[in-house]
Amino acid sequence: MHIAEGFLPPAHAVAWGVASAPFVVHGVRSLTREVREHPESTLLLGASGAFTFVLSALKLPSVTGSCSHPTGTGLGAILFRPPIMAVLGTITLLFQALLLAHGGLTTLGANVFSMAIVGPWAGYAVYALLRRSNAPLMVAVFSGAFVADLSTYCVTSVQLALAFPDPGSGFLGALAKFGSIFAVTQIPLAVSEGLLTVLVMRLLVQSSKGELTRLGVLLTRKQSRTETEAVAR
Amino acid sequence: MLPIDAAAHSSRWRRRHPVDKAVLGLGLTVLAISLPPWPGAALVLLTALVVLLGPAGVPGRRLWRAYRVPLGFCVTGALTLLVRVGGPGGFVSLAGDGPVRAGELLLRTSAASLGVLLFAFTTPMSDLLPRLVRAGIPAPVVDVALVTYRMSFLLLDCVRRIREAQAARLGHTSRAAEWRSLAGLGATAFVRAFDRATRLQAGLAGRGYDGTLRVLVPEARVSVPFTAASCALLATLAALTFVLERPLT
Repeated sequence: MHIAEGFLPPAHAVAWGVASAPFVVHGVRSLTREVREHPESTLLLGASGAFTFVLSALKLPSVTGSCSHPTGTGLGAILFRPPIMAVLGTITLLFQALLLAHGGLTTLGANVFSMAIVGPWAGYAVYALLRRSNAPLMVAVFSGAFVADLSTYCVTSVQLALAFPDPGSGFLGALAKFGSIFAVTQIPLAVSEGLLTVLVMRLLVQSSKGELTRLGVLLTRKQSRTETEAVAR
Repeated sequence: MLPIDAAAHSSRWRRRHPVDKAVLGLGLTVLAISLPPWPGAALVLLTALVVLLGPAGVPGRRLWRAYRVPLGFCVTGALTLLVRVGGPGGFVSLAGDGPVRAGELLLRTSAASLGVLLFAFTTPMSDLLPRLVRAGIPAPVVDVALVTYRMSFLLLDCVRRIREAQAARLGHTSRAAEWRSLAGLGATAFVRAFDRATRLQAGLAGRGYDGTLRVLVPEARVSVPFTAASCALLATLAALTFVLERPLT
């Protein structure tokens, strides 16, 4: 869920912008270095940004019978790595604010923090941890997408609870209020997004092995041989 | 093309410099969130509506179609302020000042959204993005954003056609079929995006691509009278809010 334009008080909007800035600047530096070393990456990164934008426009059938859209942060982080996703996510959120009236410019910092920073980093951490412990690719992909989606909504709940503390029970009451609303809708959606990401990845493994190897998601033959030898030793 | 961007390309203010429109539209948004909601945000909301439908010439129906999206989110978000957790009224009870807080939040968000819509409905992305380099955004990031913007429309068109093809092959008749179709859609979008990028790369390499994407930007100058009038309007709104605040509350 994107926090709508004007929803956060000015101090919160600025604070979340400041909190997001180091991650986005780090991502911008990585992206600039990558483009300077390999100018052809501009087009691939642009295509990745467009893919992320389109992914968020897909309608996802929800368990509750309603419809929602995937955040795409898990798949994006697995495919393009979290620092690049911080920049691509920021660009996508800017486009969504200006082209779809979804989210906002004053809330861009808060939305970037939840969707382009915490979601991708949390999802990628779980994915990388499971891959290192030799879990099957699809289990790691499902867990990564599930955690990325859910952590995005947890952070959004915290952001809203900080901005609108409950008159009776303060921050914790507000967190319980926003968290329980999201839990009802978002846990099924996170499961749905995890399943969808697995299905997409399965098709990609069948049809786009080259691209996945280039992105480092699948190991090259040489890498996998080295890894097998290391395990055997 | 997406409806807001299509409207921006045919806007009456299309030839104005984006800075002119940013001062007015984003200035209204900043006022909406910084002034007291009553009467500040209400005045901003009214002013933004008058400017959008009057001088900017945005058709009312198009504006409503775009505006109802953020408005829906605002209403849903404001509803949560009507209840309180814990306290003497039980675990969940109605908050005493809930309606006032919800009303203020609704005023603030709806006014702020209109300010951004004023900017979005009059400024095409293709005019804005290349100028961001002058605002200090690194050129490679702007190039990636430009490719993202242009490729998004192609991909959205692709996705629409794939969905039609899937529907024609009974791909949405059951829940299982819908999931299969959705996964196919996501994977095909990825493959198409990378395929287009590779072909674009090959085409640009044949034309001496050196890593920078040069695009023609329509000539426009920052209008001093327009910007001054916008600043005067914003200052008047702020002053009016402080004058009216006490008698109206």
